[in-house]
Amino acid sequence: MINAKSKIKTFLYKYSPVVLLFASILNEVDFNNLGLKYFSFNFAYILIFYYSLKRSESLGYTFIFTAGLFNDVMIGIPMGTSSLSYLLICAATAYLRNITLRPNIFKDWIFFLITISLLNFISFIVLMLIFKYEVSFFDQIVNITFTFLLYLFFSRLFDLYDNLLLGKSNAR
Amino acid sequence: MEKGRDDFVIAIRSAFLKRGTQQRFSILSLILVSIIFLILGSFNLKAVDYLKNIIKDVIYTSSFIASIPENVIQISYKNISNHYKHYEEYKKIKSELEIFKTKDLSKQIIMFENIKLKKVIDDYFTTSNETYAKVLLDKESPFLRSIVLNKGSKNGIKKGMIVLDDVYLIGKIVEVNYLTSRVLLASDINSKVPVSIEPIGIQAIMSGNGNQNGIIQYINDESIENKDEDLLVITSGAGSVFNSGIPIGKITVETNLNNKDIVVKFYKDFTQLEYVKVVSNEKQIVDETSKKEFELNSEQISKFNNQQQNFEVLKQQKDILEEIRLKIENENSELKKELALSKSELQKLQDINKQIKIDQEEINFLRLNLLYAHKCRKNFYNKLYKVGTPEYKACILNKGKKIN
Repeated sequence: MINAKSKIKTFLYKYSPVVLLFASILNEVDFNNLGLKYFSFNFAYILIFYYSLKRSESLGYTFIFTAGLFNDVMIGIPMGTSSLSYLLICAATAYLRNITLRPNIFKDWIFFLITISLLNFISFIVLMLIFKYEVSFFDQIVNITFTFLLYLFFSRLFDLYDNLLLGKSNAR
Repeated sequence: MEKGRDDFVIAIRSAFLKRGTQQRFSILSLILVSIIFLILGSFNLKAVDYLKNIIKDVIYTSSFIASIPENVIQISYKNISNHYKHYEEYKKIKSELEIFKTKDLSKQIIMFENIKLKKVIDDYFTTSNETYAKVLLDKESPFLRSIVLNKGSKNGIKKGMIVLDDVYLIGKIVEVNYLTSRVLLASDINSKVPVSIEPIGIQAIMSGNGNQNGIIQYINDESIENKDEDLLVITSGAGSVFNSGIPIGKITVETNLNNKDIVVKFYKDFTQLEYVKVVSNEKQIVDETSKKEFELNSEQISKFNNQQQNFEVLKQQKDILEEIRLKIENENSELKKELALSKSELQKLQDINKQIKIDQEEINFLRLNLLYAHKCRKNFYNKLYKVGTPEYKACILNKGKKIN
């Protein structure tokens, strides 16, 4: 019985980030577009950044690439745009892992801001200059701001979730 | 300094090229694949389109399945709230139905006349090429206001077809897959619809504002200033993109024209779409069938016109009868009044007559009293009647005491 419980917990610990990523993309509720003028955030960016940084093995690069393709199709932008953004987040987190000796949440946070700003800039270039999409700069600024601000909240939430599943000592 | 640069290069190289313990591909390889996808996407290659269509069909279906729990909750909530609204709506609709029933005939006439005139001016018109589709997904995107339908090229859907909800414009088909298709909503920022603003008849272009409204572009604001009623926005048919006369929304009186944007409020809420109608915007070729249809329409129009004329005659007759009835009613009431007046006058005359009779009797009594008072008045030496008593009066009228 204890063994089964432990197996379930391990399973959840291992696969919940991927499930959460695909659920957030395939579901009709999109935090990127809640219908509010001054509030939107990119949940996928937060999730990918957090788990790629903390547990790089939990979200496979192939899954992330596929999730990006799914997201592109769902929101109707050229296929490959989101995949590129998501993979660049992974690259950024891999770089941050390599250069970090003592992890610090605030350093991660600032690095997250730089990363998402760079990604949105790349997305702008791709969508506006190559594919001639009309993109609202203001909406994107709002999106970046709230994604940045909510990173702390969600990272704390994910920490709590991991602690709940494996216990504080194991999760860290 | 040199060492620092080496560390940076090593960290970058490691980040892009190193595969993790459970990673099949490196980030760099997948980034390259993404870029290839993007590059191929910018070319219109048939094989790539075919592959993309398959991927999209799979993803839309997966998304539809993934959204089932959420949709079930939404539908349940909607059903419950609808249940509460139902009765009120029923009453309202019932009363409206009565009104519409009366208007139906004239509407049919106008419709047929419209068909006839459109054919005369060779406008874009289709009646039979309609497909009804279910809204599979309406996931909102910051880049694209669109919905996904459960009908695709398999069901005859083509790029550029017009999508309606009831008779109101929703958008047009921008992407067709084998089983599904995507509709660019009129509220999308990239959507450009040639419109006509009625009743002032100004031509303009309407674009979406990315939310739930449209914006009128390329128009002189002065031309719609000082409006004191709602302005209707319908498709103008210019540019052959949309058929003419499809209602879209209205510019309300409350719209502040001092603002930069002239906002169009859509008749339909694009977030509440369930089933839509996809119609062709292709020009109808006038063939033998169309000619027959045209003749049939003409016959129907003349039939309806005759019916309308009959109705007019009947209506006039009804009006005349109503007028006569009112006249008679007025006369009746006048006569009743006169009768009541006559009755009261008669009563008055009768009263006068009665009074005269009484007076005459009194005069007669007084006259006789002068002559025969001595024969009836009681004295100390006779046993006649006391003055003022009825017996005395009777005695006077009998000209003395009657001896039996």
